[in-house]
Amino acid sequence: MRSQLIKAAAVLPILIAASAHAQDDCAEFHRFNCERSTDTRFSMNGQSKSASVQIGVPTELNIIVYKGQDYRIAFCYDEKVIGDHVNARLIEKVREPKDISEQVIKKEELLDANGNPSGQFKESTVTEVKRVFEDVEKVLWTNEEHEMADMIEFTATATKRLMVEVTAPGAANPKPKRSDKKFDIGCVGILIEHMPTPAMGFDDK
Amino acid sequence: MRIRHATLLLASTLFIACGDEAAEQVTQDKGPELVIGGEDASAQASVLYQMPTPNELFSIVRALNGKGQKSAMSATPKADRFATLSGRALNFGVYATDMVYASNFKLTSEVVRYYLACKDLGEQLGLANAFNGDVQRRLEKNLTHGDSLDVLTNDAYYAAYQKLQQEQMGPTLALVLAGGWVESMHLVMAQQGAYDETSPLMARIAEQKVSLEQLIDMMEATKDDANMAPTHKQLMAIRDIYDQLNVVRTPNTGKSSSGRMVLGDDVSVSITAAKYEELKTAVAALRDTITKAEDKPSNA
Repeated sequence: MRSQLIKAAAVLPILIAASAHAQDDCAEFHRFNCERSTDTRFSMNGQSKSASVQIGVPTELNIIVYKGQDYRIAFCYDEKVIGDHVNARLIEKVREPKDISEQVIKKEELLDANGNPSGQFKESTVTEVKRVFEDVEKVLWTNEEHEMADMIEFTATATKRLMVEVTAPGAANPKPKRSDKKFDIGCVGILIEHMPTPAMGFDDK
Repeated sequence: MRIRHATLLLASTLFIACGDEAAEQVTQDKGPELVIGGEDASAQASVLYQMPTPNELFSIVRALNGKGQKSAMSATPKADRFATLSGRALNFGVYATDMVYASNFKLTSEVVRYYLACKDLGEQLGLANAFNGDVQRRLEKNLTHGDSLDVLTNDAYYAAYQKLQQEQMGPTLALVLAGGWVESMHLVMAQQGAYDETSPLMARIAEQKVSLEQLIDMMEATKDDANMAPTHKQLMAIRDIYDQLNVVRTPNTGKSSSGRMVLGDDVSVSITAAKYEELKTAVAALRDTITKAEDKPSNA
């Protein structure tokens, strides 16, 4: 019993260390694996992020892009697990008003012949229009229409909430055996760079 | 037998922490969840949120209206007078934003003061590593170089932000970001001054509608946390004001001046003088609540 306890205690730090190591491997993935732009005017954007992505499960990174800035978003991934490409989409989240009708029961006091309150009440159903807001998603770009590109450059002419959605298709010949689950999660990096939108002309670049 | 169970439980807890099982569960229901960074967290979730660092907004503001307002920044001596987690986290966000603002607008004498205030509050939040002696030495050495200061302060801000993500301090991070959002708004409004329909800064203030929406989405999962609830409620009230602004979307065709593609519609958010005043009052009220010193420690 005691030896089992000691064994468990000995295994614990190893498991924790292994887990922490796996996490560390992915956290900075975009820094070391995504290709930076050759245009030196681009600066690294603090919203860049790496994540462990499960094959077939979309992962969404919500960011803000500012009007008057050019952006470059590049994707990098562990090809052995994720596959030779990722499916990527840029989706705008728009908060839009929507009017909804509601049936409301109202209690009304009846008046007597002289127009004074009678003490008797009548219930009636009325329709009230209420304004609510909801997020609507608009797909702005998908790499399926751009030969599964691993990078997009664009100009933001308005400040927007963008959702960068990435789905991993999985490798054609994944590492086999053992638990399937163990080998269906890999690192994906989303590197974001930005610069003020430059004007075209001879002085650029 | 009991030990086996304990080991099994421990192992399964670790595997869940690694993300396998949880990833499946969480991603089946894609409701608004707060998952702010941390590899562990990201493996389990389908939805991640990031907020721009304040220097992005301030560099735009500087290009539009170049002079910083030193008097608009918060008073640093109060840094040691926040005793609650929410007070410390919110004001860490405020001072970090002030620090980035000071460096962006080359208010060099202020940079170190705000850096030290951030360091004090950061240590109390478990962010000591983000403010190590090396960063401070580099800051002092570069005080005469505005551009280097920009980079250094942004690095310090980003290091703290990353630390909060990696440690999965979700509610604390959300409060830090909320404090930062409020201070950014306050500083940009101070930069703008009175309502002026033609000022490009007015448009920037109106556009912060989307960053507030993102912040509130981010806070959704922890909005009922006792530390978070009051701030969340006041931010929702500010969003209600933003919801009343007129938003016009115009289809955009063709490329931009840089030759790159334009994504989606042009969007303009217009703000009236009355709504600007309402917004300014609401932001000021929330900022006053946040920055009020907590003289009597309660739940330190």
